[in-house]
Amino acid sequence: MEEYPEELRTPPVSLVALFGYSELHTSITKHLHSQQPPVNALAFPDLSHISLLLAHDDQINRTSSVRDPLSVSDSSSPIPSRCGGILKRDWLLKHRTKVPAIVAAFFPSHHIFGDPTQWLQVCSDLDNLKSAIRPKNIKLVVIVVQSSPQEEISEDRLVALRKRAELDSKYVLFFNSSIESELTLSLSRIASAFAELALAYYREEGKRIKSRVEKRSSNSLDLNVRYCFKVAVYAEFRRDWGEALKFYEDAYHSLHEMIGTSTRLPAIQRLVEIKTIAEQLHFKISTLLLHGGKFIEAVTWFRQHKASYEKVVGSTEFIFLHWEWMSRQFLVFAELLETSSATVQSFSSLNQGTAEISLTEFEFYPAYYYQLAAHYLKDKKSALELLLSMSETAREIDSSSESITPSVYIGQFAQLLEKGEAFTLHSITDEEYTRYTISEAKRFQDSFEIIAWLKRSYESFTNLKAQRMAALCAFEVAREYYGLADPNNAKLFFDIAANLYRQEGWVTLLWEVLGYLRECSRNLGALKDFVELSLEMVALPVTSHEDSGNLENKSYGPGGPATILGRESIHREVFTLVCRKAELISSTEESGFKIAHDSPLNLEIDLVSPLRPVLLASVAFHEQMIKPHALCSITLSLLSHLPLPVEIDYLEVQFNQSTCNFVIRNSQRPLWASASNTVQSGSQVENEPSLVLVPNNWLRLTYAIKSEQSGKLECLSVLAKFGPLFTICSRAESPAAMEDLPVWKHENRVESLSTKDPVLAVFGQKATQVEEPEPQVDVSLGTSGPALVGENFTMPVTVTSKGHAVYSGELKINLVDVGGGGLFSPREAEPFSLESHHVEICGIDDGAEGTDESESETGNIKKIQQSFGLVSVPDLKEGESWSCKLEIKWHRPKPVMLFVSLGYLPHCSEANAQKVHIHKSLQIEGKMPLLVSNRFMLPYRRDHLLLNRIKPAPDSEDMSSLPLNEKSLLVVSAKNCTEIALKLVSMCVEFDDEQGEASCLIQQVGGCGDTPGSANLAPGEEFKKVFTVIPTMKTPKLGLGSVHLKWRRQGGNTTEACVSTKHKLPEVNVEASPLVMSLNCPPYAILGEPFTYAVNICNQTQLLQEAKFALADAQSFVLSGSHSNTVSVLPKSEHVLSYKLVPLTCGQQQLPKITLTSVRYSAEFQPSVVASSVFVFPSAPQADKANCATKQ
Amino acid sequence: MIVCVAVVGHQNNPLYIQSFTDADDALKLHHIVHCSLDVIEERVNNPKKSGTTLNEAFLGLLYPTLNYKVYGYLTNTKVKFILVTTDLDVRDTDVRTFFRKFHAAYVDAVSNPFHVPGKRITSRNFAQTVSNIVGSYGLN
Repeated sequence: MEEYPEELRTPPVSLVALFGYSELHTSITKHLHSQQPPVNALAFPDLSHISLLLAHDDQINRTSSVRDPLSVSDSSSPIPSRCGGILKRDWLLKHRTKVPAIVAAFFPSHHIFGDPTQWLQVCSDLDNLKSAIRPKNIKLVVIVVQSSPQEEISEDRLVALRKRAELDSKYVLFFNSSIESELTLSLSRIASAFAELALAYYREEGKRIKSRVEKRSSNSLDLNVRYCFKVAVYAEFRRDWGEALKFYEDAYHSLHEMIGTSTRLPAIQRLVEIKTIAEQLHFKISTLLLHGGKFIEAVTWFRQHKASYEKVVGSTEFIFLHWEWMSRQFLVFAELLETSSATVQSFSSLNQGTAEISLTEFEFYPAYYYQLAAHYLKDKKSALELLLSMSETAREIDSSSESITPSVYIGQFAQLLEKGEAFTLHSITDEEYTRYTISEAKRFQDSFEIIAWLKRSYESFTNLKAQRMAALCAFEVAREYYGLADPNNAKLFFDIAANLYRQEGWVTLLWEVLGYLRECSRNLGALKDFVELSLEMVALPVTSHEDSGNLENKSYGPGGPATILGRESIHREVFTLVCRKAELISSTEESGFKIAHDSPLNLEIDLVSPLRPVLLASVAFHEQMIKPHALCSITLSLLSHLPLPVEIDYLEVQFNQSTCNFVIRNSQRPLWASASNTVQSGSQVENEPSLVLVPNNWLRLTYAIKSEQSGKLECLSVLAKFGPLFTICSRAESPAAMEDLPVWKHENRVESLSTKDPVLAVFGQKATQVEEPEPQVDVSLGTSGPALVGENFTMPVTVTSKGHAVYSGELKINLVDVGGGGLFSPREAEPFSLESHHVEICGIDDGAEGTDESESETGNIKKIQQSFGLVSVPDLKEGESWSCKLEIKWHRPKPVMLFVSLGYLPHCSEANAQKVHIHKSLQIEGKMPLLVSNRFMLPYRRDHLLLNRIKPAPDSEDMSSLPLNEKSLLVVSAKNCTEIALKLVSMCVEFDDEQGEASCLIQQVGGCGDTPGSANLAPGEEFKKVFTVIPTMKTPKLGLGSVHLKWRRQGGNTTEACVSTKHKLPEVNVEASPLVMSLNCPPYAILGEPFTYAVNICNQTQLLQEAKFALADAQSFVLSGSHSNTVSVLPKSEHVLSYKLVPLTCGQQQLPKITLTSVRYSAEFQPSVVASSVFVFPSAPQADKANCATKQ
Repeated sequence: MIVCVAVVGHQNNPLYIQSFTDADDALKLHHIVHCSLDVIEERVNNPKKSGTTLNEAFLGLLYPTLNYKVYGYLTNTKVKFILVTTDLDVRDTDVRTFFRKFHAAYVDAVSNPFHVPGKRITSRNFAQTVSNIVGSYGLN
């Protein structure tokens, strides 16, 4: 696009000439530039320059010396329409830079309104000006420059000025630059007047020319083209894009008709002129369309343009001119599209309403055009090369031969001849012209441009994710580099293409690219690359037998056609190169490589390497588990896709345990001196009568190996050696996990299994597990029943050697929670979960037996954590044993799993010997030893009205209430819930804090014969102890502290420390009772004898209490006294209800039941059944201790 | 004139490619066929952007390049048929008819019990049928 002149590339801008007052010009010019649309201005200091400006053009036109000789002759001819060319080269430039639309004359106001002599001067200036511009229809504007706004203006002179200038009043302007506001006003006035007049000027000019087109005054097509072009340009000046487009198209179509009809110039030049103008018109049309956002029209237009000129080749001998022209069309359109398509991304309207010519996506991408531009330029290059090679004369042409330059008309060339002082242009013949173009073409290096465009196209396609297009571009770039003998760059781009073709399995394309790459590496002297590429080519699934027999054909790359013959010949070439014998080295120079005779060549083939088809190694162990030192079969299968059989000198199989590596030797081949450097001496060597890889046939080899070491045994790679210096190392693959070869998987071929055993071929693995040696040491866990919570439970562990000595033994102990023990509810567990360890290892006592001085010296490891312990075992000889005791403590009752594992070395000598492991486990239940419970008892036959008991608070359902300052009883019982006898050492109640001590008094009831809490408890047996409790403070929640128990296992070692267990007593509610009802009755009664039954109602409040009572009759007694009544009890006093009763029956009898209702608290209460019964004797008892009997 | 036809598998691997020119531009045609896969991919992946509605197997003109025009056809099993022609004036109906016949021939070829799906088509019968179809192209 840059090769077009500037005036063609940018839209034209109106031109104005300013005369006089040069100090104002800068500000005015600046203002005009900033207008929308902008206006260009030419500035001249005074009016005398006008003749210079306008005469310039005429002068050039009249200098016959430069004039085209053809047009000179034409001018004398009677037909005026004949002219020398279609478009003048400088016409557009002239109208953009030299011929103004408007002339603006500046006059100072005092010249007009002042001195008459000055006024006369102004008049004469104006007359001169008018006479100069009139023939060109240039518009005039007169600007009167005022020095201040208050300046006096003479109306008469103003009218006279207008008349003289023949101007409308609005084109005589005043300019005042003294004040800022006036200045901007004046500037905008000037700008609008200019815009208006410029529009008028270009419209009139356009109309004038258009009328010539419409009249069809001439039948000459060239004039028609010229007129249409001019109308379009004038329309562009007016920014009337629609009309401009229409007339450009008209011009284009008229021009197309000229092909074959015009006879003005010699044939080649004639076509060149037409094509050059067509190119410019096309450029204008495309620009207008694209800038108008009409992408589809633009692309369609381009297609038509291409179609209509594609076949206009001209002389076939000089076809390179055509290709160059075509290439330029594509390039320019690509650049245009690139600059304008940045804004437009979607072509949603694509293919709508254009059913006839459907456009495709890629035609909207600049990359597409760049690629084709490069392609045509390549055609040009090859056409030129052909031309140069064909003709002797063409080769001799050098650039300095003739002084041929572009002539006055676009697309024409002329010879510049020096005649004394003057230069003259002479028309040239076609022969001269072609000589000139050939010499020009020889100057350019097309390859660099081809590469640049293709690279741009490649990048663009890559961004568009059109990887195949991009690959093709990369391939073309690389080919161009290859042609320039730049193998480094070529290789870079060939690799890009090769990668994609490899992925998608386009074998013929890959073959082509690899052929080039191979030559590149040959030129670079990279032997390894060369061999790799050759082998890859050889192993491609090329199955075509076709051979055109013409290897010189240019359409193939250096790799030749993709045929089996081609593969075979490359195979032979590469194997002769790499497997040569030392004495033959000198003779391999024709391949382009000089290799030192001691430099080996190693190729590595991994799972993603494209060389996998060259040597595919599948390795399968026959067993998934093997015993150490036992023989195990392993099958090695090799497959090659090389076209010819190859013989392997020897194979080396490598494992992760290097002691297992082994070698398979081809016994027909001599043993090379340097044969084995990776395999240790003394390793296994197998001999095979022949090791030949036949194409597409598995070479299956089965051997037995044995491993000394336990653990994983994996085959890593298989190394094949061909000749003294060439090795291929292929990664071993499991038959079970073997992937298809990417390029071969789409081929039709007989596929055989890698092993004879089909199961092994499907499930075989390249790795196996070598078992550990059988342990000959016993670990026993001595168990002694369930563990009890709180105690230090001891667990003896014994290690006994039964055949193996134990060296650097380590005992690992692990405690694992048995999931979901179910012994306690989750709610119970939650608050304790923070502590996390309900069971912990407290200690390991390993010095219990055989504590030796020597053992402590060995630096025993002993590590204990809460659930993990590690202890080292001293070295044991055969038959010896060692034991230790684990101390484990349970905090919560739960079952745990105890895991004990012993790792040891059976021999002390081997440094890297493997440890033998023994694992043992045992589940141990942790149990609660004692179940503690408690009960409260109120004082006998004293009933307190405890309001909380009648109307319990919602949150204290299970809480017992105790009366204030009264002595209540607390019974604590401990039950042995284990299966073993326990000895309870002591039981006492202790407060948790001092506050409890202050608010409550607890005493142990010193019962008769009670030792201080010491008792033997058989399984299931219960122990009880009674305490008195006197609460001294009224509180809804009184903590009573906790019961401390001390116990130990019975029968055990008496020195063993007691285990202390705590049981927290529940909180109680202490309240003062307003009413206390106590029953008074003798401890026993005698049948028939009356006794007094008194009910004391005691009011403990400061208020008068009304109490209702009701006494129910009892069957066994005769009763005297009131059955029911309401009594008032004075504050802090007592009311006594007294009854006389006569028992009628013997035995334990229920006394008449009294129900007391407190009116104030509307609460009713009764004494308990136990409290209101009495034993009736048939006659008076003899014993004194009778009162004891009534207690319970 | 049809210069090249191709069957491309759903992994974009060539299954069958045959050129019908005397000139040695088989390689060029391979490149053209391979590049046209980009257009198919774009058309199938962004049907909105390209403004076409893919409710039939026939994909229409893929792209014009040099002197060739490339047409595409996509079967339900994502196998692509590609046609390269040198004709300037191509009637849509002709191309459709061609692809219909070609599809039928392909179905016959892959229905062969000895054909493994996804492998290259090497059937000689198929090649014969295809060259017949190519020969009869545009005659009616």
